Amino acid sequence: MSEPHERTVEIVPEAGLHARPAAKFVETANDHDATVKIGSAEDGDEDLIDAGSMIAVTSLGVKQGEHLRIVAEGEDAEEALDALERVLSTPEGKS
Amino acid sequence: MSERVIEGIGATPRTGAGSVVWYRPGATSEDDSEEPVPESDREAERERFETARERAREELEAERERTAERVGEEEAAVFDAHRQFLDDPQIEEGVTEAIEGGTPAASAVREAFADPITQFEGMDGQMAERADDLRDVRDRLVRLLVGGERVDLAELPEGSILLAERLTPSDTAQLDPERVAGFATSTGGRTSHAAIFARSLAIPAVLGVGSDLESIEEDERIVVDGDEGIVVADPTDERVAAARTATADEVLDGRVATVDGREVEVAANVGRAADLEGAVSQGADGIGLYRTEFLFLDREEPPAEAEQYERYVEALEAFPEGRVVVRTLDIGGDKRIPYLDLPDEENPFLGERGIRRSLSSDEGLFETQLRALLRAGAAEGGDLAVMFPLVSTVEELEAALSRVEAVADSLASEGLEYAMPELGVMIETPGAVFMADELASRVDFLSIGTNDLAQYVMAAARENERVADLHDPLHPPMLRAIARSVEAAHDNDAWIGMCGEMAGDPDLTELLVGLGLDELSMSAVTIPAVKGNVSGVEDERARDLATHALTTTTRVDVTNLLSDS
Repeated sequence: MSEPHERTVEIVPEAGLHARPAAKFVETANDHDATVKIGSAEDGDEDLIDAGSMIAVTSLGVKQGEHLRIVAEGEDAEEALDALERVLSTPEGKS
Repeated sequence: MSERVIEGIGATPRTGAGSVVWYRPGATSEDDSEEPVPESDREAERERFETARERAREELEAERERTAERVGEEEAAVFDAHRQFLDDPQIEEGVTEAIEGGTPAASAVREAFADPITQFEGMDGQMAERADDLRDVRDRLVRLLVGGERVDLAELPEGSILLAERLTPSDTAQLDPERVAGFATSTGGRTSHAAIFARSLAIPAVLGVGSDLESIEEDERIVVDGDEGIVVADPTDERVAAARTATADEVLDGRVATVDGREVEVAANVGRAADLEGAVSQGADGIGLYRTEFLFLDREEPPAEAEQYERYVEALEAFPEGRVVVRTLDIGGDKRIPYLDLPDEENPFLGERGIRRSLSSDEGLFETQLRALLRAGAAEGGDLAVMFPLVSTVEELEAALSRVEAVADSLASEGLEYAMPELGVMIETPGAVFMADELASRVDFLSIGTNDLAQYVMAAARENERVADLHDPLHPPMLRAIARSVEAAHDNDAWIGMCGEMAGDPDLTELLVGLGLDELSMSAVTIPAVKGNVSGVEDERARDLATHALTTTTRVDVTNLLSDS
């Protein structure tokens, strides 16, 4: 069993985790061989939701400037975290 | 059997007869039972769901490809979003759990989508529209599960009349104008996407028919009369024959004038390169609205100056004796353009679009477009005019004009040939109406964009069915806004045109001429009818009609006045 990797990332896109950034985020989460869960920085492990669900991700309502806790488990966990951090650190339209 | 006439809103002055094909993307059938599934069959029920989902993926892929090919990459992107919802783990989990609890697959799908749909509906702006995408995906799955036959819009039998509650842009994109004899929908109005689509392809269409449309059955023979705005069930043989032989209005080449000799320019709206040909063949005097957005969509980078130059010259060459009015880029947060840093705005129609974006962006798009335009102005062909969209202040206009000056200076210093086009402002906002006098004094012409003007004067979103009624340009506030703009233009020796859907309604030609418009620009299909009507207008009568219309208090008074005249 691999250990879960995690980090907390600030949301840079103006739209927050909505619309295009959310779609890109979900796509990226699903592209990796890892189980990715997310929540707000204060959320405990039980409150985390599936990063592969557009519906769930959008319902979080995380806004620009807020922090997101990302936990990834699996073979590509570290790569997944890197890629997801890039999505969240890229201002809208520059990707 | 006698004819049954159902009234709606005519979208195209064309009439078609044919057999009914119903398009019901969300329909259910008798297989759609609510009875609990016995435990032994639940695994099979789950497999049915998986199979339906697999087929939905295939359908989405095929529709995506077809839309990308026929309409464009931008419109095709919606299918990617559908795919994401189709495979959403939250949906999958909800459906699976419900099926394991004995709920039939179709009901399980409906239940699983219910909460997310409510959730998206409660959000602001663009996210609320995702609720429609979720409904689409849900309906697709339900249809595949209950075995409802799917109508393939691209493969309709020849001579079909398509009936539907509504047709989305992705639906109309698949329609083959060679096979469709017409369509009618229970919702929608003259400015909806489906109506504009029908006019650009000259397909007979009646919209906003209401629930009476449901009384017409599959394979029935009907007539769709877009001129009268009626759908006729059980039509007489005479009516069918008339519809089949109905020819379009005679094309009138050359300028038309009223009975008293007042010339009115009748021009075409062009939104795609392919529209140029239709504009010429329908006898347009020129182009009153050349939308430049299409040059910028479906691509990875903005069009270079040389490419834009060629396109503008091509339009000028198509009308060597006429005038081509080009609108500078009118784009905002409701569009998806990969290479532009367009903001996600809660309300893009009140956001940074049109001239606002051209002035604020530092991407050089505006300069490149102006360079291409000024250079094209010096080329052989018709006369070029350039207008700015969504102006609401004099400052914006002055800023735009000084950008034009700067571009002219740099072209001159580079020794490149250019010519200053006529310059104009679109009247689309209440601000522009109130300042029409000051705006007109600074330019050569004004052009009233009635679709957006109605949206902003009446505070009613263009695609919102619930407020479609407020979109009727015959509401007195609209008529007064138009009259005020015309007066401002003429007081300042500027000419004034109209390029919204209102301009192309042949029933309004006399009123518009009476209001003093010098130019009317419309989808090519209505040009012959409007030209014909202009030639029949008597100036004094038309002026009286306009004067009366401006003293009315309600829309009903205006429509009564028009039907009496």
